Amino acid sequence: MRTPRPAAIGALAVGLLGAAGLIRATVPVAVPAAASSSAPIVVSEAYVRQPTPPTDAAAAYFTITNTTDRADRLDSVVSGAGASTMLHTSGMQMNMAGVTIPAHGRLVLSTGKGHVMIEHLFGVLRPGQSVNFDLSFASAGTITVVAPVIAPGNPAPRIGGGP
Amino acid sequence: MNQLLRRLVLVLLTVVALAGCASSSGSAPTTSGLNDQSGSGPYQGIGMDPARPRPSFTLSDQSGSTFDFATRTRGHPTLLFFGYTRCPDICPATMADISLALKKLPAALQKRTYVVFVSTDVRHDTARVLRKWLASFAAGGRASFVGLRGSRAQIDAAQAAAHIFLAEDGGQTHSAQVLLYGADDYARVSFVYNNTAEQREIEHDLPLVAR
Repeated sequence: MRTPRPAAIGALAVGLLGAAGLIRATVPVAVPAAASSSAPIVVSEAYVRQPTPPTDAAAAYFTITNTTDRADRLDSVVSGAGASTMLHTSGMQMNMAGVTIPAHGRLVLSTGKGHVMIEHLFGVLRPGQSVNFDLSFASAGTITVVAPVIAPGNPAPRIGGGP
Repeated sequence: MNQLLRRLVLVLLTVVALAGCASSSGSAPTTSGLNDQSGSGPYQGIGMDPARPRPSFTLSDQSGSTFDFATRTRGHPTLLFFGYTRCPDICPATMADISLALKKLPAALQKRTYVVFVSTDVRHDTARVLRKWLASFAAGGRASFVGLRGSRAQIDAAQAAAHIFLAEDGGQTHSAQVLLYGADDYARVSFVYNNTAEQREIEHDLPLVAR
């Protein structure tokens, strides 16, 4: 892989948190509906695409909505599901300095248009499981996101929280 | 919005197609696909005008044998896609769409169909890796899944023959387009991952070109 190692967002994530507790066997899909929250930053429609063996990496997707009047910055994404976690935005370029979410703006990660890449998975990911991510924002602090594992070819969670 | 996106993709693909044709000949100009108001014709995927003939290239398959694409797939409905197995994003999503769409079609049609995946990652996609990766998508269906590999020059030549833009970054930046060649050895429709839409499009369009 041509990946420049230091580019990994904040050495993004060494699985320092360990796999323990960060991969669950159940799906507590705590996806907040984008409009119905007063939180400054709302993360919704999170999911992880189940990897296809022998591929040892998985892509995660979510939508970040900034409900405030001031821009915020996503500085790092950490998951315990693999040895490293990094943000790939469109064009597959690594994002080093974090991503700014403008006031009342959204960052949408979707297939072909950006994802969080979890590399060197610690274990097998199957539908029915979920992966936790800690997203650290410059202003809003750390937000934990629970992303269900979805088989490739199955629909992504829909915007608005519908099935 | 979806409609707009589709149209944009159509325009972009047409531009790519036109660029691919630019060096070919000095014949009289024909009607531009950009002015075509007929959309995708009978197809739900992205219609291609002009149709593209089935390309010729010879690569190595997932069992290590030589595979002559034009000869082996001639007359067969064939889905052709370029990607790499370490891609966790559009590649498995696209292959899963193909796999699930095919399983909804009659067994006789599935048996006649080839799905050809050409790896753009010449370093990591060995025959063994391709074999294991494709097995997930071939499982439960009747179509022939073929994984092809070769040198960088061979893969570039195969992409050029199929009028697909050449992959970069060690194969990681690559075209998302799936070309569908019909029994007449022309591709008149292609597909690009779009959440659940691509599956339905392939399921609808493949029988149309199999006749």
